[in-house]
Amino acid sequence: MKKLITLIVNKRAFEVAVEPNRTLAQVLREDLGFLGTKVGCGIGDCGACTVVVDGRPVNSCLVLAVQVNGSEITTIEGVSEGAELHPVQEAFVEYGAIQCGFCTSGMILSAKTLLDRNSNPSEPEIRAALSGNLCRCTGYQKIVEAVHAAAGMMKK
Amino acid sequence: MHLLPKFDYYEPRDIGEACKLLSQLKGSARIIAGGTDLLVNMKKGLLAPRSLVGIGKIPGISEIEPVNGGISIGAHLIIQKLVEFDLIRKKLSVLSRAASVLGSPLVRNRATIGGNIVNARPAADLPPPLIAMGARVRLKSRRQEREVPLDRFFRGPGETVIKPGEILTHIVIDALPPFTGGDYIKLMHRRSLEIAIVAVASRITLDGPDGVIRDGRIILSSVAPKAIRAVRAEKALIGERPSEGLFEHAGQIAATECTPIDDIRGGAGYRCSMVGVLTKRTLSGALREAKGQ
Repeated sequence: MKKLITLIVNKRAFEVAVEPNRTLAQVLREDLGFLGTKVGCGIGDCGACTVVVDGRPVNSCLVLAVQVNGSEITTIEGVSEGAELHPVQEAFVEYGAIQCGFCTSGMILSAKTLLDRNSNPSEPEIRAALSGNLCRCTGYQKIVEAVHAAAGMMKK
Repeated sequence: MHLLPKFDYYEPRDIGEACKLLSQLKGSARIIAGGTDLLVNMKKGLLAPRSLVGIGKIPGISEIEPVNGGISIGAHLIIQKLVEFDLIRKKLSVLSRAASVLGSPLVRNRATIGGNIVNARPAADLPPPLIAMGARVRLKSRRQEREVPLDRFFRGPGETVIKPGEILTHIVIDALPPFTGGDYIKLMHRRSLEIAIVAVASRITLDGPDGVIRDGRIILSSVAPKAIRAVRAEKALIGERPSEGLFEHAGQIAATECTPIDDIRGGAGYRCSMVGVLTKRTLSGALREAKGQ
């Protein structure tokens, strides 16, 4: 039986009727149209589906939508301010931290959450914070450099 | 793409209601906490419960509280909070350390301490340090409440003493004696999203800053159907003055107390050897902490 739930996605409230077996990733993509959230492995190994729920990045493929009824969710679509990119997004572009782009939404959300809590992370701290997000293109070096640069940009 | 089978979803508002639901639904229901294990198993078709009972909205089971010098941890507390909370980092650093190497940051933000216990995986990260520190689990059902020492909770892979209709609500750790220290080392092929090849948790209590060992515990993980205590190695420590030689000796004994299998992560012989190494290293780490260094 469908349940009526409220999700506050990128500061906007959505009321949606969902079957209990639908994951947050499915509801975001298929019901609400937030296609920036990617689904890779579907079992919590790759991090492509990362979204921020109540301030913490999680694998949205392993969360039931009904479990986060009433929660505040940030997807990649909620990171920029209108046309203005967030410093993490800007740095990813500038440092070539994006290749195929499939991991990028998750990478940026994990990186942004790290910088919101720790404005001056060390390289091991950056690598640890991104260790649930797999990238098969970049070899990670450029991503780590981009996060480091974003930290510098955010301090200014 | 992995899709979940259909199920009914219930969201009780308190433990009483949850227990009532479980007993009404008999064996067809499973509790869902973080869901990071359960949903994977359901997506892979290994489990298909007719109903899920979400316990996320139940008050009082997601907190860390000091109790008579000890600590009570709600079963629904997410693993990441064990890494973050000062009380745990200071009083139970061995538990923080084990929590920090569980899964990935994304998993730690959903997975719960209770889930890591009740799933009873032989390589679970939190049971070894919890057993080392003498943790008990509180189980509630409609009619009664009981506490079980964690080292008597597991029966085998996926098997525990929990009865149908019971819910694990809290993990309780009594005040630790002075000059107590612990350590946990997980041997892994990579640093994240990894299951232990071998893991060892040790705990030492000295009778004074430079005294003899009054109490010692060595828990071996991923080398038996469940986390086990290296009982003979523990006995070898009691009453002895700590030294590198003693810890080496304890490691050699511990290596004979495990019964690992060969699998994709490592061979049985290698695992036994590593039990010896990690036992020695964790005892040394526990000693440093017991001395306050």
